[in-house]
Amino acid sequence: MKRASSVFICAALFFSGAVRAQDPSPQDSALDLAALEQTAQKRHAEWEALAKDMNDRVARMLPCDPRALSAVTEVSRASEARLAALGDYLRAASAQAFAETAAARNLLSAEEKRAVESSLERADASQEQTAVDTQSDALAQSVKQRTSLEVPQKLLAQISAKIHRRATAAGQQAGAADAAVALLRDLVAKFEARDAALREEFAASEAERTRWNGYYATRRTRAQIECTITQIGAASSNNPAKGPQGKQ
Amino acid sequence: MKRLLIGLLFCGAAALIGQTGRDAYRRAYDVWQQAQTNLERDAGTGGAPQVAQADRSASAAASFEATRVAYLKSSAREAAQRRQILQSPAARSSPDLMPPAVADLAKTELQTVTRAIAKFATDKDRGIQQLRQSMERERVALTALSDTIQARQKRVAATSEAAAALEQARAKTAAAFADQSAQFSQTVAQMEMEGTAWADYYDKLAEAIQTANAPAPPPANIPTDITTNVSPGAPRNASASAIPLVRYVGDWTYPSVNGIFHGVQPESVELEVHEKDGHVDGTLEARFKLSPGVKDPVVQFKFAGDVAAALTQKFSFTTSDGTRGVLELIPGPAFNLLEVNFQADPRTNKMRAGNFILVKK
Repeated sequence: MKRASSVFICAALFFSGAVRAQDPSPQDSALDLAALEQTAQKRHAEWEALAKDMNDRVARMLPCDPRALSAVTEVSRASEARLAALGDYLRAASAQAFAETAAARNLLSAEEKRAVESSLERADASQEQTAVDTQSDALAQSVKQRTSLEVPQKLLAQISAKIHRRATAAGQQAGAADAAVALLRDLVAKFEARDAALREEFAASEAERTRWNGYYATRRTRAQIECTITQIGAASSNNPAKGPQGKQ
Repeated sequence: MKRLLIGLLFCGAAALIGQTGRDAYRRAYDVWQQAQTNLERDAGTGGAPQVAQADRSASAAASFEATRVAYLKSSAREAAQRRQILQSPAARSSPDLMPPAVADLAKTELQTVTRAIAKFATDKDRGIQQLRQSMERERVALTALSDTIQARQKRVAATSEAAAALEQARAKTAAAFADQSAQFSQTVAQMEMEGTAWADYYDKLAEAIQTANAPAPPPANIPTDITTNVSPGAPRNASASAIPLVRYVGDWTYPSVNGIFHGVQPESVELEVHEKDGHVDGTLEARFKLSPGVKDPVVQFKFAGDVAAALTQKFSFTTSDGTRGVLELIPGPAFNLLEVNFQADPRTNKMRAGNFILVKK
């Protein structure tokens, strides 16, 4: 059962993710999310205003006063609207998170390749260093035969020094690239942990939704039983001029 | 000349980048290494062939450096684009949607119903018993609800915790990649400096070889019935080269937009080169933009001579007013490009030199 509900949640989130993937703008996603959050807060406030004094209001009505049952029903609907809005918001947040994590994984993949290239660049620089050293050695021999080669010899020595510096830097960069990839790998894990937490929060909100609905169903049943066992207020509800007498 | 060559090679290299990436510059490196094989060893005793080899090596080195720098820059741009996602905070759920009031409300309802159940506990009335049972079900529902509310509170806290950890890691990773990008930019700048250094080196190397070994240029043989003459190539161009004549022969023009030049900017250039039985003749007509010291921006001369077995075809010319000069035709990096370089003896108010790339008509 738990697995089935997980599958349902994942499917719902994935579907939302697919829908979100069609939206190329992260700014739009953020705006959508903010709008959904505002709606969820509004629905919450509406429900809270009705729910906090529901029992007090119902207690002042006769058991069979139709307003009693409709008061419970009204709060129940507000509760459902609140939890539906919360679900919409969490779905959207999860979809955005899903897209972010996918992008982070792609980045990791690209940076892993780039780190390999950094290592190759380090090897290239070493190869160039060896080649220029060989040239320098050969030119040193030729200078003995032709002194005019001293000028290019000095230039070659300067180039050699430049390549040496670059080879050193390439080594450091290769190390830095590996370190950055390790950080990125950890970051992807944290993205995934955040996604998992969001999925669980979504599942928890759906469970709460079910429980609230269950509670309001029992509350409505109680109101009906109160009417059934007393039959008080049935007549007065048909004659509002008498007014409610309240429950004892 | 050098800057022009580098600029041109850079353009050619940039065109290669998108197609081949790293392989392109590795191939260019191999070409360069092959071109310069034993150059330094032979420089002590060599002559014209080594001068030509130095020229070829310079071109190959410039091609390699330009290709590699272009590749690295392109790669850096792509990386910067990809890393944009590290700049924005990650999505998280709002903890404001789980206010404590929710749990308090459920708790209050539970306490109320529990008190009511206790009140009716001893009442034997059938109807009251029925109501009490209903309240019992309500209490069970509220207890279960309170549990799920608590569970969700824990989940919300866990999400906030995960989001905070993610945010911290994101900032750290973004900083690491920013450092990496800065280092990378420095490396690219170093490579560009190396490219210039290699060009200087090969130039000086060729010069050094030429200084000691260059034979005196043969005397000019100026026919009296034509306005130009031809001398054999100078030592730097005397080595064999298997460049097809089509790279020199034909009608060439200076492009009206995005023309490449060094020195005074041409407004228009028309060059005709003909070849028959190894003999070349042609005309050059050019108009340059006015520059200080030049009142006559028009250059016109005819040239002729035998094809030399060299990459750079070099001809002497004398214009109708008696100005002498040297014309070089150098195949460009593409088949339809030809670099022209001419230098004339200084004359008042006259153009002294020109260096530009022509496109085949």
